[in-house]
Amino acid sequence: MGRILIVDDTLFMRTLLKNIIFSGGHDIVGEAGDGDEGVEKYKELKPDLVTMDVVMPKMNGIEALKSIRAFDPNAKIVMCTAVGQEQMVKLAIKSGAKGYIVKPFQAPKVIEELNNVLGS
Amino acid sequence: MPEVPVKVQDGDQWINTKIEAIEDRIKFSEPFNLEIPYKSIIDLSEKKTTLFLTVKGTPEATYRIASVEKIILYLKRKIIINCGAYRIKAYFMSPAIRGGVLVTDAIWEKGAIAVVKTGIWFVSQTKQVCVPLPEVTAIEITKREVQNKRLDVIKIEHLENQDVVTSFVLCPMSTLQVLFNFLRDATKTYDMKGDELDSVGSQVSMLVYSGMDTKAIENMLNLTPKEIEDIYDKLLSLGMIDVVLKRREVQLTPKGVRYISEAVKPPTQ
Repeated sequence: MGRILIVDDTLFMRTLLKNIIFSGGHDIVGEAGDGDEGVEKYKELKPDLVTMDVVMPKMNGIEALKSIRAFDPNAKIVMCTAVGQEQMVKLAIKSGAKGYIVKPFQAPKVIEELNNVLGS
Repeated sequence: MPEVPVKVQDGDQWINTKIEAIEDRIKFSEPFNLEIPYKSIIDLSEKKTTLFLTVKGTPEATYRIASVEKIILYLKRKIIINCGAYRIKAYFMSPAIRGGVLVTDAIWEKGAIAVVKTGIWFVSQTKQVCVPLPEVTAIEITKREVQNKRLDVIKIEHLENQDVVTSFVLCPMSTLQVLFNFLRDATKTYDMKGDELDSVGSQVSMLVYSGMDTKAIENMLNLTPKEIEDIYDKLLSLGMIDVVLKRREVQLTPKGVRYISEAVKPPTQ
């Protein structure tokens, strides 16, 4: 079981991810609506894993990923993006993302990916 | 390949026999004593370790061949490369995404795409992937970065045991367009105008796609059972969903209430 922080600017996606993550037996320790808040919540909650949307207001997901990794080089972050933004993948992986989920996604595969990253 | 043992379906029975895949045909031993030239094979599909091959003729004949994985792999490759299919040289990446999760070790493979009657096959030295046409859920021409160049590719999504699998095909643009047009025409019965569903209907569809059950969808979208039933009816009428399970809402009878009342009493000495 992992303690997971969800960072996404849409309530719908946060709620969907919460349901999926909870059904996978993990705890949701917090959620944030933009990258800035995500970084602050990471420092405060020290989760085992973060799911991070890429396109967000204030601070985007790639910048937030870099900030969190600068604070904690061992942070496990799985990026989450919409179809058509796959070019962000290389940048995210280069910046230290441990996994990549493309919306729309299917619950069993998301849980499998989170378990893989948590176990890595 | 020498003669190898297989089972071939004959009516309701599976018959043990041997087959030999030679240069231009497959030879079946007794009791079939049959030869099938590859060029006469117009369709090939698979289910686990069973191959279904259709041979042209009047009427067309379908043969089901089961064997161990190694033999099936060899036969598949031999048939796909030599059968009467439309074939193009291409690079492919399959699966690139499975269920929304990026396959991190996916690579471009050099091989061919073979279009048969009911599906397309990606084939390389080490891999054969079948995409049945009825399972194709989306096709588009998009751009991908290949060796630091942004190139046109076809993105194909298909269902594989309820997983949505995304694959990419790379070939010259003229061939890409032919393949794209073929796939689009073969799957156009799934096209929708886009205005059939309102925003709540779209959200419900998205949640079903993501694997949420009815109770979770009701809670997430604050829908009443009646509202979600109406949306399901709409999705059913559009052919977008199948009913897989009907749940029942119940209440206890007096007998049931008595059982509970007794069950919670402390045990008597």
